[in-house]
This record gives sequence, structure tokens and C-alpha cells, in this order.
Amino acid sequence: MREIRLDLLLLSLALLFAPAFSDLLLSKVDRRIDLTSHVVRITSTLKVENAGTDPVSEVLLAFPDTQAKNIAYLTASTIEGKGKTKSSSVSLPIQVVHPDGMPPSLTWHSVSLLKGLSKGESLTLDVLAVFTHTLRPFPEKITQAEIQRVAFQESAYYLSPYVVKVQSLTVKHSGQFESYTKLENSRASGSEIKYGPYENLPSFSFSPIVIHLVNNQPFAVAQELVREIEISHWGNVQVTEHYNLIHGGAHITGEFSRLDYQARPHVRGASAFRNLVAKLPPRAHSIYYRDEIGNISTSNLWGDSTKKLLEIEPRYPMFGGWRTSFTIGYGLPLQDFLFQSRGIRFLNITFGCPINEVVIENLIVKVVLPEGSRDISVSVPFAVKQWEETKISHLDMVGRPVVVLEKTNVVPEHNQHFQVNYKFNNLSLLREPLMLISGFFLLFVACVIYVHSDLTISKSSTAYLAKLQWDEVQATVQQVLNIINRCLTIHGKLEASLRDLSRTGDVQACKSARKSADSSLKELSKELRPVLILLQSSSQAVQILPKVEELVAKERELQEKLMLKHSTVVDCYEKKSGGREVENRVASIQQKITALRQEVDDLLEIIDEI
Amino acid sequence: MAQSVKPISSPVPDAWYPTLAVFMLAIGLVVTASFFIYEATSSQRNRSLARELTTGAVASVFLGFGSLFLLLASGVYV
Repeated sequence: MREIRLDLLLLSLALLFAPAFSDLLLSKVDRRIDLTSHVVRITSTLKVENAGTDPVSEVLLAFPDTQAKNIAYLTASTIEGKGKTKSSSVSLPIQVVHPDGMPPSLTWHSVSLLKGLSKGESLTLDVLAVFTHTLRPFPEKITQAEIQRVAFQESAYYLSPYVVKVQSLTVKHSGQFESYTKLENSRASGSEIKYGPYENLPSFSFSPIVIHLVNNQPFAVAQELVREIEISHWGNVQVTEHYNLIHGGAHITGEFSRLDYQARPHVRGASAFRNLVAKLPPRAHSIYYRDEIGNISTSNLWGDSTKKLLEIEPRYPMFGGWRTSFTIGYGLPLQDFLFQSRGIRFLNITFGCPINEVVIENLIVKVVLPEGSRDISVSVPFAVKQWEETKISHLDMVGRPVVVLEKTNVVPEHNQHFQVNYKFNNLSLLREPLMLISGFFLLFVACVIYVHSDLTISKSSTAYLAKLQWDEVQATVQQVLNIINRCLTIHGKLEASLRDLSRTGDVQACKSARKSADSSLKELSKELRPVLILLQSSSQAVQILPKVEELVAKERELQEKLMLKHSTVVDCYEKKSGGREVENRVASIQQKITALRQEVDDLLEIIDEI
Repeated sequence: MAQSVKPISSPVPDAWYPTLAVFMLAIGLVVTASFFIYEATSSQRNRSLARELTTGAVASVFLGFGSLFLLLASGVYV
């Protein structure tokens, strides 16, 4: 405690000798400090009045250097409209400036007003400052049975280069406190400690106070969080988050007794936290929670149409100083996050971590865009460090472009939407199936080459020549079979014409069918002759030749019998004799035909098997 | 800001992925079978390279798309 007081004492001494500054006057300052979580939020409502003559377009905010390096998020907004017609608040740009003639060890932020504040006008400014690592655990090491107490230092008077007319300070905490610096006009009531109102204090007035309070909120600090967002135009945005968590509160000394913890967790282990809740978009699917060892099954998921809540429990409760690391992944539907406007596609997704109240010391967001994306640009509402990489993933040829954004000291207020714009031609989507198709086609080409290639070593050995001849014989036999099959189809046509005759009685059509069948059969027999000659001349065909000749002979017989039957039936129809007569005459011929057909079929089978 | 901002979704509806995968793979495998049957039953002389290559091309198109939809249906969003 002593060292803290000395530092601030020096600062306040330095400030006592600082000059007054500028014409602005803060007529009312209300500050509310929220100490209920491990992230400190200070909301200041300043009523700025221009007491000078020139219009002023910026308001300066001062922070001591020790506090300023812990600022994670700073916004200022003003409410347009007065009284009942208050419209939404407009946030104003803030920059770090270094004005001259100021007391040392102060950091300055300048809020630029939208329109200058002219003489006599006043304006209400809402400033929200979020600080991390400002609640110092005090004592720094505790045992499992003790509760966690933290110390918080601030100034009871608002540190400002302007004169403040009326100011007050309210500190909100979780309900229990050990001690606080008692100044005049300070009181503690319920879960609030009030300082003020103080009137007419000079500029740069500073009065250090220390509040020692009890805070058992989960001090979840992620030392590194890598968020990888992979876009696939086939319908999915996959988010993978790798966490490296540490409990940032008072370190635990002595032993950890699991028995005590399980029996009475609120007494033995009040400062530990057991689970964390992450808020995911409503249509997240395929959610997993794992670490290096494997899947962690202690998790719960519930949700409604606006969000999905994932409650995860690490493998052990987190006490002060303990670490854990895990990975959470989930898939999101593409149409909720990827949009197109005027030829440019953009991804609109949240930047920070979905887990409640986690301070991230180093956040790296990687957005992996599909192959073939060009003209990539990023728009983030706050300052980040960015660069590009390549990632090789499924079915990639050159790799996918990755935009990497890095930011340190991230708090839940940074969980805003950011956009990544790029151009993508829809035809590049076909690249992936084309790769698969060409892969399969190469397989088929390899098969074709293998079948066509002749890999025999000796081209003049007898076995090789015999094989060649046998191949030729097989090809010739195929041809013969082909011709026979065609003859058989013509026979079928003839039979069909006979059936037509019995249905329609059209003799002329039957006769013409007979004529065409005759001519095609003659042609086929002409084709057959040279093939048979070839077969007879080759020596390898000795076994198969008799069967083939038998087949040809039988087929010829079949042909003759069929022609006979056909002409008989046609004659009968011309003579207009009855159905019974036709049957009688044809009966014997029909028997022979069926027998012959059976033999032809058998022979075909035998030849096929050879 | 809201000048014709349209959400982008996949060119083929998500719900069709498994059905498309099954049908395209089935047709692809049937054409592959016909290719291999042709290779096995034709002899050196009356094999036609054009027929082999076209059958192979058709089979590889169907197999390629079928395996793409199979990957997408099983959750590997390539």
C-alpha cells in the first residue's frame, strides 16, 4: 500500500503546479465505476460548456500513465436532441494526442466534436473507458479456503485539464468490501460507495483513493486466443477457436484438496470458477469442445431462435494461477454471414470471443477465404494489426488467402461486427469438382493404356505367336456370332410379321416383309463366307471350327424351314382358309423350327464358353 | 448500406447434397462397370479407342461430382 501511495502523491504534487487550460468548463461530471466483474468499466457523463469566446472542436481527456496502459476500450458519444426528442447516441472519434505544456506522466486522448461548440453552448458527452488488469489481487496469494480480495486505485476528483463545477463519483461493487479511503463527503451504502458531490475544484485536481473489496467473479484471462474463420462457398462458415486460459486472480498457495472443494465449493474455493458460457449465433451446428487429449464431454448446449448458449467445463476447476487450454469449433450457415453488394462479397462476423467476460491478452483472428478470391480488404471498427498468409487445405492447388488480424488487450466490448470484402468469380467454384474429375479420368486413361500396351519381352517366341493367333480366332468367332445373331433377329421379324398378318389380315405387308427379310439374309450369308474362310485357314481354330460350321448349317436349316412356314401361312390366307387349317399345315414345320432353335441356342452357349 | 445487399448461399441447396451424392456415385459406378466390361470382353482387333475414352470421361465426370457431393454431405466443406 505504501508504494502505491507514494507514486500517486508525486503525481498529485506535479499536478498542483500545472496551469489551467482552455476555455471549456465542465459544469457537471458524474462518474460511475463498475467493479462487479474483473473488467473495470468507468462511465463518465460530462456536461461541457464553452465559457470562452472561440468555438472549440475537441475535448481533451487525461489519464495517468499507469492507468492509461491498461485502457482496453475507450469510446465517447453524445446524444443528439434535447429533452423528449432524444435520438440515438452518436459516437465520436478519439485519438491519442501529445499537447505541449502539460504535466508529465499523463496520457491524453482527444475527442473530436461533430460540430464545434460555440460560445455559451453546452454539450453532454458520455465517455466509457474499459480497463483490464486494474484490479490487483490483494493479498496476492491465498489458500483454497480464503476469499479473493482486490485493491482498486482511482482518484476521487475527476482528473481533467478543465475546471469542474460539480462532480460526483459512485463505485458499484459486488456487495462486500474491506475498506475504502474515507474523504469528506464519502459514504458507503449497500453495494455502492459514493464520493461527492464536490464543487468548484481547480483543473488537474487529483485525490487518490484505494478501495479494498471482495471479488469472487471468474477472472478468466485468455493469454492467447486464435480464432480461425474458414469460408466455403458450398454453404458453411467454420469457426475454430483455440484458447489458452489462465485464472488471473490471486494465486493459490498450499495444497488443493479435492475433497474440500467437492464438499463445500463455495467455502473452499470461492474464487475458483468451474464453467464458462459462450454465446453462439442461433444456427450454429456441429459444435465440438476438445483439447489436446481428446473430446471433453462436460459441456451443455441450449438455445432458442436468437442464440445458442454453450456452457463448457474445463477438466478441472480453475484456481488462481492455474492454466487450461482447449479448442471450440462450430459451423455456421453461409447465408447468415456472407453477403453480396455491387459485385463485392463481404463477410460480416463478430470479432471477439463469444465467451462472457473474458479478457484476451493477445487475440489473433484469421479469416480463410476460398481459393480464387482477389482484392481482399478488411474494415474493422478499431485499430488492429493485419497481414496476409496462405493456407493449404482440402483440394487446393496454390493455397487459400488468409487475412490475419491481431489485437492485444481485448475485452467483451470489442465483440463487434467487422467486414472482410473480396471478389470471387462463381466459376472458380468449379475448380474443385474439376480436380476430382481429372483425377478419376487419369485412372481410366491409365487403364486404357495398360490394356492397349503390349508388354511381352520376346515378340517371336512360339507361345506369343500362338496367343496372337488365338486372339485373331476369337475375333473371327465373335464376328460369326454377330452375323448369326443378326440372322436370328431377322427370323424374329418374320415371325412378328406373321403375327401381324393374323391380327390385321394385310397380306401385302407380309409379302413385302418377306422380301426384305430374304434380301438381308442373302447379304448376311455373303458376309459370312469370307469370315468362315478365314477361320478355316487358321490353325488355332481346329477345335472350334466344327462347332462353328455346325452352327452355320443349323442356322441355314432354320432359315429354310421358317421361309417354308411363312409361305404356307401366306398361301392359306390368300385362299382364305380357316384358322384351324393353317394350324394343321404349319404344325409339323413349327415343331422342327422350335427344335432347331433350341439347338442353335445351345451351340451359341458352348461357343461363348470357349 | 442497404443497397441490394443479398445473402450468398451455395449454388446447390444444402438439403440435396446426400441425395445427389448417392445418385451421381451410383450412375458413375454403373458407367465404370460398363467401361471395365468393355475392356474385358473386347479383343485386340475390335476395340475402339474413342468408345473407351468417352466411357471413361462420362464415368469420371459422374464419379467426380459424386465424390464432391459425398465430401460435402459428410461435413468436409471443401
